[in-house]
Amino acid sequence: MTFKTKIAAAVLGAGALWASGAAADVELVHDKGFWSEALQEMGDAAGEMTGNRIIETAYANPEQYKAFIYTSAASDDMPNMFTWWTGGVYEDLVDTGQIAPLDDVWDAMIARGDFDAGLRDFYSVGDHVYGVPLHLSRWVALYNKEHFKSVGLDEPQTWEDLVEDAAKLKAAGITPFHATTQDGWRGFIWFQEIMIRTNPEAYAGLHDGSVAYDSEPVRAAFEIWSDWYQKGYFTDPRSNDEVADFARGEGAIYLIGDWAVGLVEAAGMKSGEDFSAFIVPNMDPKLPSSTILEGAPLVLSVAGMKDPDTLAGLEFFVSVDGANAWAKASGNSIGNANAEAPNAIVEKINADVAEKGTIAIDRWWEAVPAELQGEFVAEFNRFMLDPTMDTAEQVMSNLQSLNEEYWAEN
Amino acid sequence: MAENSQETDEQLLDRIGRDVLLAQERKRGVLAFRSAVMFMAPAAFIVSAVLLFPVVYNVYLSFTKWKRFKGYDEFAGFGNYERLTTNHFFTEAFANTAIWVAASITLPLLLGLGLALLLRNVPGEGLFKTIIFIPRILAPTAVAVLWYYVYAPDGIVNWFLGLFLPGDVDIGWLYQDNTITPSIIATFVWQSVGLVMVLILLGLAAIPRDPIEAATIDGATPFQVFRHIVLPLLSPTILVVTILSVLAGFTAFDLLWVMGTSYPGQRTLSLAVFMYFEAFQKGSWAFGSAIAVVIGFVVLSVTWIQALLQNHIDKMTK
Repeated sequence: MTFKTKIAAAVLGAGALWASGAAADVELVHDKGFWSEALQEMGDAAGEMTGNRIIETAYANPEQYKAFIYTSAASDDMPNMFTWWTGGVYEDLVDTGQIAPLDDVWDAMIARGDFDAGLRDFYSVGDHVYGVPLHLSRWVALYNKEHFKSVGLDEPQTWEDLVEDAAKLKAAGITPFHATTQDGWRGFIWFQEIMIRTNPEAYAGLHDGSVAYDSEPVRAAFEIWSDWYQKGYFTDPRSNDEVADFARGEGAIYLIGDWAVGLVEAAGMKSGEDFSAFIVPNMDPKLPSSTILEGAPLVLSVAGMKDPDTLAGLEFFVSVDGANAWAKASGNSIGNANAEAPNAIVEKINADVAEKGTIAIDRWWEAVPAELQGEFVAEFNRFMLDPTMDTAEQVMSNLQSLNEEYWAEN
Repeated sequence: MAENSQETDEQLLDRIGRDVLLAQERKRGVLAFRSAVMFMAPAAFIVSAVLLFPVVYNVYLSFTKWKRFKGYDEFAGFGNYERLTTNHFFTEAFANTAIWVAASITLPLLLGLGLALLLRNVPGEGLFKTIIFIPRILAPTAVAVLWYYVYAPDGIVNWFLGLFLPGDVDIGWLYQDNTITPSIIATFVWQSVGLVMVLILLGLAAIPRDPIEAATIDGATPFQVFRHIVLPLLSPTILVVTILSVLAGFTAFDLLWVMGTSYPGQRTLSLAVFMYFEAFQKGSWAFGSAIAVVIGFVVLSVTWIQALLQNHIDKMTK
């Protein structure tokens, strides 16, 4: 082979390699920076198993990310594959007409027996489904097994059990509940939980304006919340290291989505051994067992749907191999029934859900109109920092004032 | 003689050809203009694309109904501006911004001036100036994160106070109505005083020694020298500092956004934070643009008033 022939062969070979590589790379744009490494690990697994490597592109925070997607929509140039939220902002996104329906993808997912047909509704708008789960998390009570053991407690089966357990923990010098205002968004968590345990109907009514934020069901929830604060049942809301604090033993019960299991493990606790989880019981035992369900959707733009590599990337994500790779990388479940549970806690909760016939309820964050989220959660935080009923009355009044204003205009 | 000379000139122009000369003059003018345009074009293009176009476009957006994915091309008239007049968060933000502007003008200026006078011609002047200037080179977000932990309930401030006060000091500096604004302002002063000090030191260095020495020989006290000579001659520098401080006050964002994140009230809601909140968090782009226009208008007005005041001072001191 002459020198010229060698050069030509090298150039052709490099070109072919580049061409094959470029064709197989699929971009996934998201705002979940905390899962950046996990998503890339998962993307690498996709490359190894299917030849379509997923390259993740993370945006620093949700605000910047939303701004990027809004402006992309205005210029009709959305990314091929990206993550979003359910609720009102999801419907708004679908209304642009720039998101591809994934009915065929879901038909195949259900036909394989990977996903429950009911889950399809969670991502549907009107007659079509537009997203697949990036993660599917149930909001449960994580609990410190050592604390429970030291006081001789079992997982509470009734509301009365929960209240008694809290009293016993407090008497033993252990703060029962762990909750903070860290990052500004967490304030709604205990309000949401107390509302769905005491009056799920009123909870649903809050989100369409039919129930007022200064109504009796809400006041009753605040009374319970405030009473527990007065009894010293909650940890310091000013902590800015919530997960690590729980892992260090502050607070026996930590109410959060099961996506946090991986984070707690990373902070030093082992799921199943050091901590486990239970579904919080309802105040009225006649009410059906329920949990908050959170599931960020993964969507394709119309252009992304036309790109076979992008579609293959999405299909890998929801496959058994994809679900297992994602579970291994991030500790998250996407709800694929044939995949392995990512950790002992998700496995246990899945079993509890199956046994109790637990129903899913929309998370407050997605259910409340997007325009009210920020101001409302700030009011919940205000209460957590000064948890008296006087503050609760002010908070309820402020919430309802904003709520009335919104529903009068929309 | 003059008439003869004028006639000679006229004759000369007639001989050469008046129109030819005028045409040559026009050609030179056109060439000079084209050269000037050519040299200015890159700068004019960059200023137009990076500065003017976004401003004009932002003003245009403020008259639309753009909210999240809708209303991008729907005209709203003055609707967004009318909404501002009835929005109580805007009133809160405006009041808080006024506090910020007042604090960001007076505190760094007074401290910077004091430090500049104190550190002039003292041993170790360079080291002190460097130490005081260091916070200025840090990113405001990094400063905010740093001070977030300094003010934490188990942070250095409470630890330090605990050395002098009985019992556990558990003040939530960034979680209480009466402490959050002073705490963030203190952080702002800590970061900005170095630049103010350096600017004033430059201003002081430019003041001629003669009038000061003359006043001293005439028996003026140090305060009189400062009041009647140094301060008037320093006024151009002070004007620059106040303009920078007004801009910093009106656009205060980073410290308030990071340090006030967990705080629920409206104390940390400045106009810039309110604008970001409306535009980026809620997706009310048109309304956010209207807030940006108001901020720009207010800043321009205040800066214009400052310039008028400076002119007035200049005339009085001449």
